[in-house]
Amino acid sequence: MNLRKLLKMIYRVYINFKEGILDPEAEAIKKTIDSMGYKTIKNISKGKFFDIEISSSKNTLGDLEKISSDLLSNPIIENFKIIKK
Amino acid sequence: MPKKVVSIVVFPGSNCDRDLDIAVQKYMNVNTELVWHDDPNIKNQEMIFIPGGFSFGDYLRSGALATKSPAMKEVIRLSKKGVPIIGICNGFQILTECKLLDGALIDNYKRIFICKENFVKIENKNTPFTKNMHKNIVQFPIAHAQGRFYTSEDNLKRLEDNNQIVFKYSSRDGKINKSENPNGSMNNIAGIINKNKNILGLMPHPERAVNFSEDNDGISFFRGLQNLL
Repeated sequence: MNLRKLLKMIYRVYINFKEGILDPEAEAIKKTIDSMGYKTIKNISKGKFFDIEISSSKNTLGDLEKISSDLLSNPIIENFKIIKK
Repeated sequence: MPKKVVSIVVFPGSNCDRDLDIAVQKYMNVNTELVWHDDPNIKNQEMIFIPGGFSFGDYLRSGALATKSPAMKEVIRLSKKGVPIIGICNGFQILTECKLLDGALIDNYKRIFICKENFVKIENKNTPFTKNMHKNIVQFPIAHAQGRFYTSEDNLKRLEDNNQIVFKYSSRDGKINKSENPNGSMNNIAGIINKNKNILGLMPHPERAVNFSEDNDGISFFRGLQNLL
């Protein structure tokens, strides 16, 4: 493995609905899983994630938080979480 | 006297801009200028429309990417100066994503694209946008997949207390209940204004209700806007 690839700086931003907001897609998926015969699935929530590669770690977390709250998520309906990959 | 000019902002994926253009010119008796989204200057500031459609393919969330367009930055700036702004359908979604209007518009309750005529009750006639509409209940087409109005309970109460809810989905005779709610919007909300009463957003399409006869309710909507100019 080359060093450059090893040193890639990638953060993952997870986005999901805030609690209490009905997600009809997740509901439909849950119903299908129920119909497949699984008895122990209580609840399903759906989300999405973005892998973001950065070129410098300077100010990165601050920038990523801003990008996440200002564009990638809508704080009225969604939460976000950033993790280093 | 030369006609006044109102602006219609057009994004990649807008598809109601031409219908809106025709309705505005014909029933507001004005000329229009279509402003491309990457133009940071909006010359004609009498009134600005944000049309329906699927700006930027509805990627990320409906209206989200459009909020960062140079033209929208100018719209946000002008909104603070009291310029009247109307967002229809995707335009409403864009205005909520810009935080110029409260709440968010999310997937319809049944997750299908709804395209039909719906009755809409005018809940507040004491706004610059609705005060000249004759009827209390109008019929407008709706056409959206993400039209379910959502906000926090606190915000909802604030919207109600400030009379910011302008349109609600209703029955023909103005009943507002769950069975008349096409998309699961909180309290049947179809359109709201901001606190300063210069920004209106609505999911129904008045520009699609102007074609067939003088009775069409879109006509009274657009004629009623003339007083704002």
